[in-house]
Amino acid sequence: MSLIEVDARRRDHFIVTQIGQLRFRRRGRDRIVAGVAGGLADTLGVSDAFVRAAFVTLSMVWGLGVLVYLALWLMALDRVEDTDPEPVATHQAVGLGLAFGGCMLFLGALGWWPSNALVLTVGALSFGTAALTDRNMPGPLVALVDPSVDRPGRLRMLFGVLLLIGGLAVFSSSVGPISGIGPVVLAVALTGFGILVAFGPWVTRLARDLGTERRERIRQEERAEMAAHLHDSVLQTLALIQRSDDPARMSILARHQESELRDWLYGNAPLEGADLLSTALKASARRIEADHQVPIDVVVVGDHPLNEDTRALLGAANEAMVNAAKHSGAERISLYFEAEDNELIVYVTDQGKGFEPTAVANDRRGIAQSIKARVQRAGGEAEIESEPGEGTEVVLRMPVAAG
Amino acid sequence: MRVKVYLVDDHRLFLAGVKAELSEEFAIVGSAYDVDTAIEEIRGLEPDVVLIDVHMPDGGGIVVVESVGETNPEVKFLALSVSDQAEDVIGMIRAGARGYVTKTIEPGDLVDAVRRIDAGDAVFSPRLAGFVLDAFAGVMPTEDDPELDQLTTREKDVLRLIARGFAYKQVARKLNISIKTVETHVSSVLRKLQLSNRHELARWASKRRIV
Repeated sequence: MSLIEVDARRRDHFIVTQIGQLRFRRRGRDRIVAGVAGGLADTLGVSDAFVRAAFVTLSMVWGLGVLVYLALWLMALDRVEDTDPEPVATHQAVGLGLAFGGCMLFLGALGWWPSNALVLTVGALSFGTAALTDRNMPGPLVALVDPSVDRPGRLRMLFGVLLLIGGLAVFSSSVGPISGIGPVVLAVALTGFGILVAFGPWVTRLARDLGTERRERIRQEERAEMAAHLHDSVLQTLALIQRSDDPARMSILARHQESELRDWLYGNAPLEGADLLSTALKASARRIEADHQVPIDVVVVGDHPLNEDTRALLGAANEAMVNAAKHSGAERISLYFEAEDNELIVYVTDQGKGFEPTAVANDRRGIAQSIKARVQRAGGEAEIESEPGEGTEVVLRMPVAAG
Repeated sequence: MRVKVYLVDDHRLFLAGVKAELSEEFAIVGSAYDVDTAIEEIRGLEPDVVLIDVHMPDGGGIVVVESVGETNPEVKFLALSVSDQAEDVIGMIRAGARGYVTKTIEPGDLVDAVRRIDAGDAVFSPRLAGFVLDAFAGVMPTEDDPELDQLTTREKDVLRLIARGFAYKQVARKLNISIKTVETHVSSVLRKLQLSNRHELARWASKRRIV
């Protein structure tokens, strides 16, 4: 491909993209009816208020504005997109305004509208309102004295006020003679309308800003609460992990934090004094894990309420876990709990060094006896299986009423 | 020939770590950080085993397992996730994954799990075994296919031992059966879990967001 060809292709591509950018879309946000006026404003790069005013004015010509609106709506039925328009230079905007005015005058010269007074009044009022409506401005009358408003802004405000006064003048001069409305009523109505137009946008903007401010404050409060929680939990743990040089301890800290964060995220923080055996077992395991720096894997099948008897089961399981954590030397401990129809079973299993159950009484045996006695008092039974080098398993069973 | 493994995880740091752990044993043929790339590449590369994360943007691991399963049923999935919530675990298995392990798994155990998945077996973590026992417990079978809706006594025994933290080898010894038989039982449970159309299973999983 020659350089000229490349250049021609590039130019074609450029033109295609430029036209593509001009493609008309409806607007999704900030729309009043279907986003047609907003989309047109984004495409042309002018204020949407003026485009809306143009539609309103054009509608006075036998509803032409409505027809154009519907036609554009049909054209962009499935194209809704929010683009950030590049603002057009002032002279271009003025040019567009003049072109619109010219078109209207042309229509007027052909005598294509019902009455001059109607079009002039509506046109002046709607464009005047549009000039006074600007998101970035303070109140329309305030703008004339506010130092932060630049000259074009002030001119725009002045232009709007003049248009409004002109529109009201045309309206009163054309309505006055025809109808029988008393001059006082007319004066009151016009004053009221004028005040509404002058201050309406300012009041609505004030309300909108208040709403935004409130939402923002709520968001900040939520953020602060989350930050406080993360600070107390996750950041503290991360600091501890950085200061620790023992891999086992790091892993325990991480595990502990993980389950705590998970509970917090899914809103399932275990309640103190929870009245289910499964929750109580998990809480115990987590506590022992933290105290003795040995991970405990908890698996639960079914559940049972916590009462006098099951508390004994919980206590025995606790003791078995502490025992395994202290003496077995295992890298991790398993706690398995299953609630069957007429029996609760708890297994505390470790793959540690184990012991000889028949050997002479030592402190491990003493603990084993206390586990057994505890469960037996509550009507259950305990078995302890162990062999040197083969780990230990404590099995706790407790009969319960079927149900 | 080395087993071809593909990794999918939107957490880049974790993915790099797993890659390092597995690259000695397996041929890591590729990896992806997002769902669309993963589906496309797995279809093209046809790895033996895919390690897949559950929570990712655009639908997560379930979408990948289901989409690839339709076109390449021979690709096997092992879910590897930080979550051990019932709905995630059961959801991935029902979508077609042959195993589920949490990211806290020891590197050596992960290598074993990949081997086992490649050989066509199922890999159940203690937690997954607990979920399955819970899901199949105490509900009457439906009329359509009672065999699929119940676990046999032997299957329950095997699952209970896995839930108690025993490795397959130890399970086999405790029950006086061979490791192969343990694997057969676990695979059969996996099949029931995937094929049973009990509504209870889905409802059960959504009921317990946390276990």
